[in-house]
Amino acid sequence: MNHLSKNSDSLLTLRDLTVSYHRVPAIHHVSLNLAAGHCVGIFGPNGAGKSTLLKAIAGLLHPETGKILISGNDVSGAAPLIAYLPQRESIDWDFPITVAGLVETGRYHQVGLCGSFSRRDTVAVEDALALFNLTSLAHRQINELSGGQQQRAFLARAWAQEADLYLLDEPFTGLDRTSCSALSSALGTLRDCGKLLLVSHHNIAEAEAIFDTAILLNGELIAYGSTAEVLSPRHLECAYGTAIYSGKQTGKKP
Amino acid sequence: MSLLSQLTEPLSYTFMVRALLSCALIGFTNGFLGTFVILRRQALMADALSHSLLPGLAVAAIFLGLSPAGLLLGGLIAAMLVALGGQLMARNSRLKDETAIAALYIIAFAIGIVLIRFAKVKVDLTHFLFGNILGVGNGDLWIAYGATFLTISTLVLFQRPLLLTLFDATVARTSGIRVGWLESGLLVLIVLGLVASLQAVGVLLSLGLLILPAATAYLMTNSFSRMLWGGAILGSLSAVGGLFLSFYANIPSGPCIVLLMAIFLGGAYFFSPRYGLLLRFVIKHHYHDESLERWKGHQDHEHHHLPDAD
Repeated sequence: MNHLSKNSDSLLTLRDLTVSYHRVPAIHHVSLNLAAGHCVGIFGPNGAGKSTLLKAIAGLLHPETGKILISGNDVSGAAPLIAYLPQRESIDWDFPITVAGLVETGRYHQVGLCGSFSRRDTVAVEDALALFNLTSLAHRQINELSGGQQQRAFLARAWAQEADLYLLDEPFTGLDRTSCSALSSALGTLRDCGKLLLVSHHNIAEAEAIFDTAILLNGELIAYGSTAEVLSPRHLECAYGTAIYSGKQTGKKP
Repeated sequence: MSLLSQLTEPLSYTFMVRALLSCALIGFTNGFLGTFVILRRQALMADALSHSLLPGLAVAAIFLGLSPAGLLLGGLIAAMLVALGGQLMARNSRLKDETAIAALYIIAFAIGIVLIRFAKVKVDLTHFLFGNILGVGNGDLWIAYGATFLTISTLVLFQRPLLLTLFDATVARTSGIRVGWLESGLLVLIVLGLVASLQAVGVLLSLGLLILPAATAYLMTNSFSRMLWGGAILGSLSAVGGLFLSFYANIPSGPCIVLLMAIFLGGAYFFSPRYGLLLRFVIKHHYHDESLERWKGHQDHEHHHLPDAD
């Protein structure tokens, strides 16, 4: 299958990545190649390093060993290509900003410190709002949105930024069923537009409907590949069955 | 005496004109800065900083006398030491940062009170604590001009990365913004704003200029830039208005300015059309029609996309 792509056409490459907190590794020796146009779920028990992996790729944590490459280049300097969506609790929803204002911040990199918004920037913002069905809500303060709409507002921001790699930390947490299906169809749209999405997720039951590819983590990489294959009982037992998995790594290798 | 001549009477004194100009400038600067302090949730941190100016002022008075530039430098250094010391202490011990900073600032304040006794020149402690707006000299005025220019131009220039940093530092960091540098720069400007307002309202009330107008603006608007400029204009107007009031009512200027600002804050707290306490009860503010429509939309949506759903 093409999501286990070769190095040459992969958008995101992890090589022997180890990330530690105070010298205790949260994830170690993870190597992966992921191509554009996939929606990838990251699974694993609590403390498996799902958030750590996302934060390291976003540049918030520094790898102890190994490399993160975006289109073959070093990750530092690829900032505008990466959009990190924080967990919802970390955001001050009373901040004086509207949905349109939030999406506009996605263009800051293009317009610079003092540059004014060009026609192209305005169109990008309008497109992003339209793509995520937010046009009619553009002038709402962000706290006047539902949880699902808030997630979509951040996706629209990433779209306006023209990011290629989307990193989402537990975006489905706390959403009702309707919002969940709206969010998963939004993720599907992004995948079909050729974006690569990495999403940490804990609900294995509905995984196949949302993700075409899955990564199973428990400190180290247990398996990755198509969702159905990775979330097989054998792999899940490896990840969830024991506190620390130290056996041989299974699943496909790059 | 006609009303007009009563209004213009204060303007016939040079010291009063200087004081009004100084109030307009520092009210504007602090009102502008206040937005950043409030959205960073650092109002009490700013209070700690304002208290920790005192030992710096005392040391400056001992070695340099009462020159405004010396006082500015002394206050700036003392406040930076407390802010950085607090962070260092929190990082290297079990104490959390707000405990560390609270401990350091109150110690600094006590040291300041002791040190002031050793100043060669005759220093009135109440002058430092409560300000002396009618004693604004040319040097003070230059500092007010400089602080205003530096603060407003820097903050306007870096408005975009600052907005993102205030909103969510994590998102800002992943967008390639140097969050640490911006936050340190902001801290320096806050201290500068506090020092500039010392002459008008003193150490103890300087926080009022920084917090009250911006808090008022925060209750009135959902736009970041309107909050910035609204806070600045409100700060400027109420500082000038407060000084006029103190002239007519013969009350000290510091409390007069702060209380006028408090009246505006109270007004916004109760009567703000969006977030006011009273109007929330009077006008039922919700989106019933829209939410009904959205609900219908969701129903359709589910039928179209999830035909197999239970």
